[in-house]
Amino acid sequence: MRRRSGIGGRLGIGLVFLFLYLPIILLIVFSFNAGDSSAVWQGFSLQWYQSLFHNRLVMESVATTLLVSLLATAISTAAGTFAAIGIYSLTRKWRDPILTVNNIPMMNADIVTGVSLCLFFVAFFNGWRGFAEWVNSVQSVVALPERLHLGMVTLVLAHVCFNIPYVILNVAPRLRQMDKNLVDAAQDLGCTWMQAFFKVILPEIKPGIVSGALIAFTMSVDDFVISYFTAGSSTQTLAMAIYGMTKKRVTPVVNAVSTLMFLAVLVILIINNIREMQQEKMAEKRASFEPVKPNPFIESVREKLATPGGKWFKRVVAAALCVVFVVSVGLLAAFTGSQPVVNVCSWGEYIDEDLITEFEEKYGIRVNYQTAESNEAMYSLIKNGGADYDVIVPSDYMISQLIEEGMLEELDYSQIPNFELIDQRFRNLPYDPENKYTVPYTWGTVGIIYNTTMVDGEIDSWSCLYDDEYAGQVLLINNSRDALGIALKYLGYSMNTTDESQIREAYQLIEDAARRGVFQGKVMDEVFQTMEGGNAAIATYYAGDYLTMLENNEDLAFVVPKEGSNWFVDAMCVLKEAPHYDNAMKWINFIASTDANLRNMDYIWYASPNREALEQYPAWYEEQYGEELDPEIYEIMAAPDEVLDRCEMYVCLPQETRTLYNDLWIRLGT
Amino acid sequence: MSKELIRLSDCVMAYDDDVVLDHIDLSIRDKEFLTLLGPSGCGKTTTLRIIGGFLTPTSGDVLFDGKRINDVPPHKRMVNTVFQRYALFPHLNVFENVAFGLRMGQTVVEQESGQEVRRKVKIPEQEIRSRVMEMLEIVNLKGFERRPITALSGGQQQRVAIARALVNRPKVLLLDEPLGALDMRLRKDMQQELKRIQQEMEITFIYVTHDQEEALAMSDTVVVMDGGRIQQVGTPEDIYNEPKNAFVADFIGESNIIDGIMRADGVVEIFNRRFQCLDKGFDKDEPVDVVIRPEDVDIVSEAEGQLKGTVTSVTFKGVHYDTIVDFYGFKWLIQTTDFCPVDSHIGIKIDPDGIHVMKKSQYSGMFGDYSSYSEEYDEINDPTLLDEEEEGADDEE
Repeated sequence: MRRRSGIGGRLGIGLVFLFLYLPIILLIVFSFNAGDSSAVWQGFSLQWYQSLFHNRLVMESVATTLLVSLLATAISTAAGTFAAIGIYSLTRKWRDPILTVNNIPMMNADIVTGVSLCLFFVAFFNGWRGFAEWVNSVQSVVALPERLHLGMVTLVLAHVCFNIPYVILNVAPRLRQMDKNLVDAAQDLGCTWMQAFFKVILPEIKPGIVSGALIAFTMSVDDFVISYFTAGSSTQTLAMAIYGMTKKRVTPVVNAVSTLMFLAVLVILIINNIREMQQEKMAEKRASFEPVKPNPFIESVREKLATPGGKWFKRVVAAALCVVFVVSVGLLAAFTGSQPVVNVCSWGEYIDEDLITEFEEKYGIRVNYQTAESNEAMYSLIKNGGADYDVIVPSDYMISQLIEEGMLEELDYSQIPNFELIDQRFRNLPYDPENKYTVPYTWGTVGIIYNTTMVDGEIDSWSCLYDDEYAGQVLLINNSRDALGIALKYLGYSMNTTDESQIREAYQLIEDAARRGVFQGKVMDEVFQTMEGGNAAIATYYAGDYLTMLENNEDLAFVVPKEGSNWFVDAMCVLKEAPHYDNAMKWINFIASTDANLRNMDYIWYASPNREALEQYPAWYEEQYGEELDPEIYEIMAAPDEVLDRCEMYVCLPQETRTLYNDLWIRLGT
Repeated sequence: MSKELIRLSDCVMAYDDDVVLDHIDLSIRDKEFLTLLGPSGCGKTTTLRIIGGFLTPTSGDVLFDGKRINDVPPHKRMVNTVFQRYALFPHLNVFENVAFGLRMGQTVVEQESGQEVRRKVKIPEQEIRSRVMEMLEIVNLKGFERRPITALSGGQQQRVAIARALVNRPKVLLLDEPLGALDMRLRKDMQQELKRIQQEMEITFIYVTHDQEEALAMSDTVVVMDGGRIQQVGTPEDIYNEPKNAFVADFIGESNIIDGIMRADGVVEIFNRRFQCLDKGFDKDEPVDVVIRPEDVDIVSEAEGQLKGTVTSVTFKGVHYDTIVDFYGFKWLIQTTDFCPVDSHIGIKIDPDGIHVMKKSQYSGMFGDYSSYSEEYDEINDPTLLDEEEEGADDEE
């Protein structure tokens, strides 16, 4: 009996570990996948690592992450150590409450810490603005900058802020264990307090400081939420970059980054464990009086330090470290400070990144290219004053909202000659009727993606979404605007209707279908894996993304149903009070060029609004890849007029209608 | 008589309203072994820390060689300390612990254009080595140089702590309950060793303890403290034979303390009986405390006795019996080699030199009655109890 229960226990443990590590193993395996599917294995390849190292967004964010983490770790370790010592010199009456207070920030939700720090910084900036204006008005010797922005400095401050409690938590127990008389003893033997600190306290609490610093460093590298709220628009950490990349789908590049991150943490952990094991061994050997075999490298360094010249050696090393530190900080400051800059906020995987490098080389203007996760997230970031973007690329309905709220600056079209190349169809659209604020970036349609092997015949109507015929095989798009809009269209109403009874009728259609079990689930980006893997028959999504799926599953087809659908435009705009207006104009003009449009179209599979690019793309494709572009695919990418004619563009709905959408969507549940 | 080295003059130490030292005056002579003795919380450790420079008195002066040193930090005083529980540096080995003070350099006083200039001078490695080895030899730790501190026994750590302090050749060595953590045997050995080292090196030892036996065995001068005040200063013999008040009498050795009335010079009345004694100089009919040491009482037959009583308990102690006798409701402790069974009626005789008369004090009536003998005895000898109290007191500081 005992034996059997032992096997059961082992099986249990095995299952637990399988559950813990299988996702990570899967991630590592798929980072070596030759194709870009996350569901189908297409052979071994290192291409994603290659493209990772050529991905400047990722590489820059890695550099930022390392710099921020190292700086924050150094500062918080020093501050936390002294704080812990200070706390321990208090009487017990004060010490315990203070240690409890120290624990609260660690238990606090990151989101609360992040939002409150963001508020704090913005409030400080507002106060500073008043102060700086006053200083500049009363004298002209020093000109203080009046507008401050979230950025590297606030990011480091935020990291220091959340790291300090961890350092204190690690150093405090060491101090508690330390004999209080040690400091007295050192002073008694001729040390000043500072000497006592370095010669006695520091060696005693060193293990606590080291583990505190390690934890602080990993917390820093790991952090996403707090960074997101305090980094502003010109700085991006690795976690933020990865999050931006997953906006559309988990590309294999993300797998590669994650694999490297996992391995890095693994290596740190192993080093730490080996260190601890060696320390234990040393302690054991010491206890048993065996001579400890010294590490030859450490011994040689120690010898050097012990010789009369050793002090110089020590000083040279310290000086060299200082120089490296100062230079790296200085370089970074110079890099971000003196050079002309343009801050761009767009979507993940939404540009051919070579274009950024090309622009920088051509104009000598550095591009801070950031990615947002949704129109709504970008909106709230701008609204809070936490961003100093120049160029943003929102979708149509969001543009009309931004214009309505007076948040956009008019464009100087004289600086954007390439606007002339934008097709007439994409000018003066409802979101910007006089075309004063925008230059279109991409456009596309929403339609039905279906698996031809799982569906009888061709599909040409939204009805398949609500019929019992494909019950359990349909994916509902998890976005109230799209889901209700499609239902409205199917019922023959306008997608932009504000008539409550029509909207409720559309909702009823979806709810009935849901009750009958037509839908397999509500999805956004999971649609890629589900459809590519052939796990659902029908889904609603964007044309450009269909083309990406098609690369991994040839059985998929796309249609814009006969009842009509939504078509959308994402356009470049400039924010009010943009700090680099002229640079923004240059960027917009560059991206609007035919060449840039061709390359973007090829890279992201979304259609270009540039007339020449649209016309030239099939030829350009043939020249690039040596094969003809399938005209069907081209038609899906750039829908012909007769398709567009039956489609409708979203406009910004009034507040009450938006509330109704939300309420209904929540009622639908999962 | 050697010259005075340290003087505490009207020293007060108070935290808010809590007075820890209450107007202390104390003179310490060069090369003497002085012990601060008292129960925990009596202010003895505070006094030591004031001399060491870790505390600055709230008011009053600390003089060293006639110079005021109130504001001189510890690292500039010619004083070294052996701490309670040793406070050795765990990250250094035995040699480096002992060498620690020497590596910090030596203070040299030089005359420069009429002014006294103190300067730290580095001690050559050669000298450090020889001085440390010499010191380790003195404390019997030769061959232990390379051992880590954590691998030493309590007694060995104790020796390292002493060597670490003495290697700096201080004028004064302060010892804060240095033997408190050792067991009985080791304690006795170390007492002798400390005394030997003190005499060999000819330096002043200021020793803090709550163990009266230790104090009597080692000291030239004993300072008995209680409630932040000095109760009595004297040689061990003075303190034992002529305690100033009931507290001292009770704290040093065992005493029966009885209310008495001084009828005339050399005549004291106890329990309405007159006894011959050697004390003089009291007012006529002055109420006094009378101390009678348990070993100064002779047991005689009931008829011969100056006082008559009943035996209530007997404990065999090896050399003698601890016999508790009830005299008119007051219980005495008598140490005698004669065995008297419980409930036997006995008489006692006391010689005039066995009676010591003291003035009434705040302590009168608090000690000297052995009604609750066993409990009191246990309390004094329970080291854990004292340790805990001590720690509590430390934290308050």
